[in-house]
Amino acid sequence: MTSRRTPNLMRRWLTQALLPLAAVACSLGAQAAQPLKVGYSDWPGWVAWQVAIDKGWFKEAGVDVKFEWFDYSASMDAFAAGKIDAVTMTNGDALVTGAGGAKSVMIVLTDYSNGNDMIVAKPGIKTLADLKGKKVAVEQGLVEHLLLLNGLKKAGLKESDVTLVNAKTNEMPQVLTAKDVSAVGAWQPVSGEAMKAVPGSRPIYTSADEPGLIYDGVAVNPASAKARRADWIKLVKVWDKVVAYIEDPKTQPDAVKIMAARSGITPAEYLPLLKGTKLLSLSAGSKVYVKGEGFSSLYGSTKIVDAFNVSNAVYKAPQNIDSYLDPSFTNAK
Amino acid sequence: MIARKLGSFLLPLLVWCLVSYLPFIWHPKVQVEAPGGVDYFQSGMLVDREEFAQQAADMRAQGLALPTGVPANPIYLPAPHRVAQALYTAFTTEPEQKDAPWLHESLWQSIQIILWGFLLSSAIGVPLGIVCGTYQGVGRLSEPFIEFFRYLPAPAFGALAVAVLGIYDGPKIAIIVIGTFFQQVLIIANTTRKLEATLIEAARTLGTRGVRLITRVVLPGILPDLYRDQRILLGWAWTYLIVAELIGTSSGITFFITQQARYQHFENVYAAMLIIGVIGFGSDLLLGRLGHALFPWDRTRDRT
Repeated sequence: MTSRRTPNLMRRWLTQALLPLAAVACSLGAQAAQPLKVGYSDWPGWVAWQVAIDKGWFKEAGVDVKFEWFDYSASMDAFAAGKIDAVTMTNGDALVTGAGGAKSVMIVLTDYSNGNDMIVAKPGIKTLADLKGKKVAVEQGLVEHLLLLNGLKKAGLKESDVTLVNAKTNEMPQVLTAKDVSAVGAWQPVSGEAMKAVPGSRPIYTSADEPGLIYDGVAVNPASAKARRADWIKLVKVWDKVVAYIEDPKTQPDAVKIMAARSGITPAEYLPLLKGTKLLSLSAGSKVYVKGEGFSSLYGSTKIVDAFNVSNAVYKAPQNIDSYLDPSFTNAK
Repeated sequence: MIARKLGSFLLPLLVWCLVSYLPFIWHPKVQVEAPGGVDYFQSGMLVDREEFAQQAADMRAQGLALPTGVPANPIYLPAPHRVAQALYTAFTTEPEQKDAPWLHESLWQSIQIILWGFLLSSAIGVPLGIVCGTYQGVGRLSEPFIEFFRYLPAPAFGALAVAVLGIYDGPKIAIIVIGTFFQQVLIIANTTRKLEATLIEAARTLGTRGVRLITRVVLPGILPDLYRDQRILLGWAWTYLIVAELIGTSSGITFFITQQARYQHFENVYAAMLIIGVIGFGSDLLLGRLGHALFPWDRTRDRT
């Protein structure tokens, strides 16, 4: 199969050279011949699409879509470069990617983190208040940093009451073993590995304590969302079937088997990761997809992330949140 | 010859075996078998030796059931037999996921990336290197820029390569080319310059010019060295494989390595690294043999 790729490469270069010409000549109908390209990566709410892929539900729904498996950050790079039509990402990262120039609209929510993101503390530290004056490692500007600030505020502390150590999320298990670091922030499976690395350490604050802090979904290139609206609606409809299949106790083992295979681990290892993710059916999603304040609204949550991003200099100007969120796909009858 | 080469593998393997199988050498952890009365212990968990002793002492003082466990190495140092097992199962188990590639198919994919990258790089790099080495003027004109460019880290071109070449094999091959090409031109130009100047002078005196100078005099003169350079450069290309394959869609042996490392299945990671090492080393041995057959007059081979 792959030996035929390199001629393809040439063809692709040629295509790109001819693209400006083609764009003029191209009608909507010609575009529709291309399958939708969606980049997805290793997070339970996104791996869930694998169920629909393996079961052939997209074909049943009459939508031509190709899912491409990426590393998370590589998937956002590909989306930013305009090489894929949609990517699975968090509402916060959609703002970050958009601030860099690649705007998107989130057409469907897949889930919110319900415990998978956590602040893991060493034995002896029972609450966030115990962290006062101690060192906490997070990857600055990412969701765990936000989770920590949110928790500290509730515990009556300020960011300056702890010393932040900036480290890569993937390295948190090793960081937690360092003598002077009291806690780290990471998501699964890294957070689970951190707890294994320092026996007796446990989560003192998780995304389950603040449901809706981090929403995950499918973000689509606005041009594609407009031009291929009917196709995207069909794709969104398939999501309901996926959630039902995963949550039904009768079919769950089969679903977990498919998802675990995609991630390259055993179903037994996978189940706890799934439990830390609250999948949102379309009706649950549309309840969140309403304007409001606070974390129970996607708009409220995104506004908080936007303010966090600006205050941490992830980007300079606040984003126009309404342009990133479009409930009409989820609500389409 | 082969025996001597394999012999040099024995020492590291011996050290690995000793550290893995003789508990008194290192084994800083205890793998819990039965948690006893300790609330957070689970069977299979790795804890520090001191922590385990502390908990055991606490349980004894409280009169609760004692935990049991065996000495173990940290998770990142699996024993040789577990790596061997992982190597075997990786090749013999059908991929869990429907129409996911088998390990040998992923490997073949990676090898193709390397070969295409190396071929493309050589197609331009070898002629350019020879010309730079033969004609001073060309060398002076192009080499400073190539010198500058070779310091730019190839992985830094990742996002750029995706933007230009798409998400599949194109950007991956491009990273291999960027990582190999600039070194290649300089190394080959240097090799060309080492050709005895008297040979070129004599040829010029006899009226050889242009293409004929290169094909009739320079190329035959440097061929064995050129071949050796290419062998080294092919190994160079391999070292860019992992960064190259992280770009765009996940594929090849890199997908296997990064995914298994994320879930800390280090025996699989070591197995995959071993495979890469064996393929690289094996192909180099073969090419070395081939070189002996192709260039029987090459005197430097006696020293290798």
